Amino acid sequence: MSRTNLLDREVGPAMSALSAAAKRGLGDPALAELVVIRASQLNHCAFCLDMHLTIAREHGVSERQLDLLSAWEEAGDVYDERERAALALTEAVTVPTGGTSRAFGSGGFVPDAVYERAARHFDAPRLAHLLALIIAINSWNRVMVARRIPPGGYTP
Amino acid sequence: MTTHADPTTTDEQVDRAPEHTPRLDWSAHAPDVLKAMLRLDAAARKGLDPKLVELVKVRASQINRCALCVDMHSKDALAAGESVERIIQLSAWEESEHFYTEKELAALALTEAVTVLTDGFVPDAVYERAAAHFEEAELAQLIATITVINAWNRFGVACRLVPGHYTPGQHA
Repeated sequence: MSRTNLLDREVGPAMSALSAAAKRGLGDPALAELVVIRASQLNHCAFCLDMHLTIAREHGVSERQLDLLSAWEEAGDVYDERERAALALTEAVTVPTGGTSRAFGSGGFVPDAVYERAARHFDAPRLAHLLALIIAINSWNRVMVARRIPPGGYTP
Repeated sequence: MTTHADPTTTDEQVDRAPEHTPRLDWSAHAPDVLKAMLRLDAAARKGLDPKLVELVKVRASQINRCALCVDMHSKDALAAGESVERIIQLSAWEESEHFYTEKELAALALTEAVTVLTDGFVPDAVYERAAAHFEEAELAQLIATITVINAWNRFGVACRLVPGHYTPGQHA
């Protein structure tokens, strides 16, 4: 059976407002796309990957950074320390139940080492908005995957 | 020992482990995000049975192990008229089916699938079971509600927010 494409007319704009607030407070559109794409990889959201790979290119994120993102931990200096801290936090917050990456030395939650690494690179307001961004894309991933929204619907 | 009245103590004073400190007061540093989250929460639950919303929120919070959220939504469930027995059995709901309606069971199965996306998509059987019990607009709201509690859970876990101090209605 096909799945619903309904999203309540107040829910959609509220989610957009959440994403917009998070991105504005982080203030780094290229980093935001790396974070959003990595979370969408972990959550297997085809619609979100398609959309944000397009947006990342618009923001000048390099093909090399996009190509290697699912193996960023093994990608040497393709990502700087700030980006790596943000990606480690992205994985830990996306999979609080533990699981798919070396970020989870403690088997879930958000390990102190991961949190503290992020806190060294982002002051409290930026860290709060980075968390919000990770959480916002996790929300989009859920509403898209649950309804099986196909990729390709996004046009810049 | 904590210095305030200990909300986790139900009988005589006992010597419990100290309370941890939250990592980050995220909503103070991102009031714009809090405002957006509250708006989203209200939009997502609109039209759903409040008791069902709380069952879903408790179960997702258990899976994500958000201590603050388990505390809050167990209390909110009780305040909404839920029974202690049905809250207790939630972590083993699949083997406690006679505690719940078929509609609630379908919602709980969907909650688990949408909460743990990293294990692989949302199975057709799970989606179809939910679609059999919820009409389309209500199903969209259920998906939104599962999504929103996952968002709150992630703030709670990432910031190590402290459970035990919630009173139902305090955020109303």
